[in-house]
Amino acid sequence: MRRTATLLAATALLAGGTLPAADEEITHSIPPGYTPEQERDEQGLWLEMEEAERRLNHSALLVRNPDITSYISEIVCRTAAAYCNDFRVYVVRNPNFNASMAPNGVMQIWTGLIVRAESTDEIAAVVGHEIAHYTRLHSLQRLRDIRSKSTAGGIFDLAVLLGTGYNIPVGQLAAMSAVLAFSREQETEADLLGATLIANAGYDPHASYRVWLNILAEEEAAAVKREDHGMFSRTHPDSEDRARYLQSWVTSRYGPPDQETVSDERLLAVLNNNYLMLMEDQIDTNRFGRSQDLLERHAAMGVDPSLVRFFYGEMFRQRGNEGDRELAIAAYRHAIEEDGAPPAAYKNLGYLLLKDGDKKAAQEYFRTYLDVEPEASDRAMIEFYLEE
Amino acid sequence: MKITRLVLLAAVAGLSGCVTGYTLVAAGPTTIYDLHVNAAPGWNLAPGSNTNARANTQVWTQDGLLLNRIAFVPAVPHGEALIRSPQKDAALPVFRKDMLPNEIEELVESTFVKLYGDGNAVISTSNLRPHTFGDTPGVLFDVDASVTESPDYKGVVGAFVSGERLYFMYYLAAEPHYFGKHREAAEGMIKSAHL
Repeated sequence: MRRTATLLAATALLAGGTLPAADEEITHSIPPGYTPEQERDEQGLWLEMEEAERRLNHSALLVRNPDITSYISEIVCRTAAAYCNDFRVYVVRNPNFNASMAPNGVMQIWTGLIVRAESTDEIAAVVGHEIAHYTRLHSLQRLRDIRSKSTAGGIFDLAVLLGTGYNIPVGQLAAMSAVLAFSREQETEADLLGATLIANAGYDPHASYRVWLNILAEEEAAAVKREDHGMFSRTHPDSEDRARYLQSWVTSRYGPPDQETVSDERLLAVLNNNYLMLMEDQIDTNRFGRSQDLLERHAAMGVDPSLVRFFYGEMFRQRGNEGDRELAIAAYRHAIEEDGAPPAAYKNLGYLLLKDGDKKAAQEYFRTYLDVEPEASDRAMIEFYLEE
Repeated sequence: MKITRLVLLAAVAGLSGCVTGYTLVAAGPTTIYDLHVNAAPGWNLAPGSNTNARANTQVWTQDGLLLNRIAFVPAVPHGEALIRSPQKDAALPVFRKDMLPNEIEELVESTFVKLYGDGNAVISTSNLRPHTFGDTPGVLFDVDASVTESPDYKGVVGAFVSGERLYFMYYLAAEPHYFGKHREAAEGMIKSAHL
């Protein structure tokens, strides 16, 4: 039978570098519907975040497509259970892998997380982690820790950090380092409580480490490794450590996984319906090793083959290594054969054939492009090549 | 509120510009490396503190770099990026001498993503169309940039390839107001570019 550990005991265990036993509970620190009523510093933190939320609401990078927002909101609500109404969820168009939680319940999910998930369970794992930050009052703990270590300047830094995801420590490096070390312990705590929350919600808790194994695989595939992982890595345990301790803890607590990851129809529908936006943003990062890793994963998951092959074409063509042109031509042809390729498949195949000197075939594809995309904004350019 | 903040930032940027060496560009024909341009009145050459600029690049502004800028990037060789980045892991896209218009458009789109920082902006391009620069065939297209914690930007880009080198000109300005304010003059300068 599981017993409930106190906040103090759990924190002490984490600070000591060991994980709580698998049968121990890390509990929420606040009840559902919580609002700060007495603590002035916490009230100030919420006000700060409300201003940040107002700015976020006007951001052109906010995803407003209900297909995506309702999918994410449902995951949040199911994972949060009794705390469902405490969160306001914003999906932000950003191809990088991240999510964040503000102390007033504003959760940001970046589209880069959605495009990297192999299952809804994996998205739930990240969501559960963010919910745990909220219900354990981690932001308030960080604020108070900063106040005890630095001057008012440090508080400004924290406000920037919480509001934007980036930190600009000016003359506060030592204090910030101390605070960030503390934050890594919170991250571990959020990992474990998050895994518990998704298990309680009926998601697969083994997704909590699979998501990090995927990030490791992507980093392995990257042609250009990230030198500075930014705020995310400095405050978080690295992916390998995280995957290892989560796998160990989850397996001890819930037993081994009973099946391999199975993609679900809901995630596939979201990916298929929004694939152009999600992958165009990824391709624009010019990080082709990572893009190829994602495409291989999407092909295995069963994302619409015409879309996956189209982006293979985009990736090979824009990478431009030796032999990539032939690979791109083959990918576009396959995308078109699958029926459902984006109009740009015809256009970009036409351009490649033009480079190969096959003007007649190129013009055929250009004509098809204009047929399937009569309102094409680059019609003048295409007609220039048709008239040549 | 947003406009007020912008004007304040522009004033600060302009003030620091006075100190650090903004210089008025004389209206009329001017040459940037080997690129000839017919400068419109009222543009100011930004100092070299623009750390993203390649050598030989000139960046001009009317109201401050946050509000509007026109840049002339001449003679980018095969295998090189259109901008510089202080980050070694920036994965900047590079020009290839066999690029066709669609690829130049994508190159610029990805370059602008890097200009603002990965994940900080969503860039889209449209209206790719032919244009002849002097007697060199090239392209024009439009740009929209949605940027984190910033106004939206709109822009016009011109580009052509000569001697296996890319010549790239762009005008980017905040929306609303600043893009339209100088669009005609900026587009005229871009279209006037020739070797």
